[in-house]
Amino acid sequence: MRALATSPAIHETVVVDRRETLSGIVILGLYAPEIARLVRPGQYAMAVPPGGERAATALGVYEARDERISLMLAVVGVRTRELANLQVGAKLDLLAPLGNGFDLEALRDDVALVAGGVGLASMLLPAQHLTASGRRAHLYYGASTAEALVDESKFAELGIGVSVATDDGTRGYHGFVTELLERDGRAHDVLAACGPSPMLRAVGRIARLRGVRAQLALEETFACGVGACWGCVVAIDRSSPQAPRFPQASSAWDGHADAASASEYVYARICKEGPVFWSDELRW
Amino acid sequence: MKLETHPDLQVELGALRLRVPTLMGSGCYGSGEEYAPFADLAEIGAVVLKSVTRLPRLGNPTPRLAVTPSGLLNAIGLQNPGIEHYLAHDVAKFASRPCAVVGSVAGFSVDDYAYVTQRLAVRDEIHAIELNISCPNVGSEGETFACDANLAEAATKAARAVTAKPLIVKLSPNVTDIAAIARVVEGAGADALAVINTVRGMAIDVDRREPRLGNAAGGLSGPAIRPIAVLAVWNVAAAVRIPIVGQGGIESARDALEFFLAGASAVSIGTGNFTDPRVPLNVTSGLRTYLAQRGAGSLREIVGTANPGFLGPA
Repeated sequence: MRALATSPAIHETVVVDRRETLSGIVILGLYAPEIARLVRPGQYAMAVPPGGERAATALGVYEARDERISLMLAVVGVRTRELANLQVGAKLDLLAPLGNGFDLEALRDDVALVAGGVGLASMLLPAQHLTASGRRAHLYYGASTAEALVDESKFAELGIGVSVATDDGTRGYHGFVTELLERDGRAHDVLAACGPSPMLRAVGRIARLRGVRAQLALEETFACGVGACWGCVVAIDRSSPQAPRFPQASSAWDGHADAASASEYVYARICKEGPVFWSDELRW
Repeated sequence: MKLETHPDLQVELGALRLRVPTLMGSGCYGSGEEYAPFADLAEIGAVVLKSVTRLPRLGNPTPRLAVTPSGLLNAIGLQNPGIEHYLAHDVAKFASRPCAVVGSVAGFSVDDYAYVTQRLAVRDEIHAIELNISCPNVGSEGETFACDANLAEAATKAARAVTAKPLIVKLSPNVTDIAAIARVVEGAGADALAVINTVRGMAIDVDRREPRLGNAAGGLSGPAIRPIAVLAVWNVAAAVRIPIVGQGGIESARDALEFFLAGASAVSIGTGNFTDPRVPLNVTSGLRTYLAQRGAGSLREIVGTANPGFLGPA
């Protein structure tokens, strides 16, 4: 991905609307005019915990229009529960916009968008961009169960075809979304995906088999979210433009058993160099 | 930006004079530029850089982080490009920081500490050196420098011998008697002590039946360790006369005050920045309010005042 010229800052936002699905996914609408103006598809925000005591939470920006943005949350722990409990009128401070988003220029004529769970949040802005620039896209969207599928209509409204999969077969294809993508057989020029790591690895494999490239938006636990702590790394080819400059390993490589493999890759920060990477440059 | 000067928050760590008593913890603040969009670096005392070692280190396998109750476990593994690359490509950029810059040195032998300290400390961009001695000594049976009085002394002496710049030694809480280690390190020539480094810990994923960190064990930071850190400062402050940089889970001025009252001359903020990058500035302004409300003209007046054993910087 090319590095985006971005101007992150701390933004004081206010919850203006809140939607909760039957499956417990919460969509927080926020008054955040600056972020709405600046954010690019695939970028994210770090939410400062209203109660302190824990690291901020990284969330992909779902919608951005006029003076409003929204964030999509699945409650997985204390941090996300605290955010999901915010009501209309509550304040939420965000570090945003962060990271390098999708390389939209490289998403060519016919794009497969692949989303798992709340990874859908990072797919709407790219979808809007693609359709606005006259390119074709198809959404493959997987979730655990029918109730956990949200907002397919927002994609359909853009004229994008949607195929869904559920782990329990309550809607669409019974199985993983990546199996659906594989069986579907539609030819796409390029893939763009966001979801859990196993899903992203599978998308990478499918892309390789089809001889096309895939941009993956990685989900990982962040501590700082701004590139300071090197906690959220992924192994990447040294030759990637996203690889941090790092000296070549020597035989005296310290504390690393396999000097030869060490010379093949380095660790890049998902929060800073990513969160979007080309699958064929990752070594994970 | 105009800095308030009253009450006086200045602190001296050896010859390192800081306008405000806040340091940003090593490994938590990058080189400062990562946080520049979110915090005015002119309003912090110093950034302690990420530790550098003699040779490049890829760092630990992933995952490197696990969030735990009121805490954060990490095992980054000292990922760094090694001192030669660092001197050639990174250090010059630190000259533009509007705060003090403290280099952090880690090593796996006494000779490593001497060599890296000597190479780094000669650079004008570096105003002081912090020794990260929470590393294993590969030359012996791998005991940690910070957990063995003789090794801690040897590393400190080795660094002291090669630089006259202020030398801060960062102590580990993973010892039986931190005050005893502190005394030895003071005797070996340290100008100040950083108390404490992370607390060793582990979290296990019970579904996958394996440790949550790629390295299995890690270092715990955040509010979960604050009481451990406050007690360590209390004990060290009754054992040495050199200044102490208190650290462990500070997220507010009141948190920081616990450390000052226990005997710390300055505080370091690490994980607190991950909660909110405004924490350091909130600490400074909260300290001024606290002191003003109590008619104190300077922070120095209250340091150690909760601790009957406080020896105080001489």
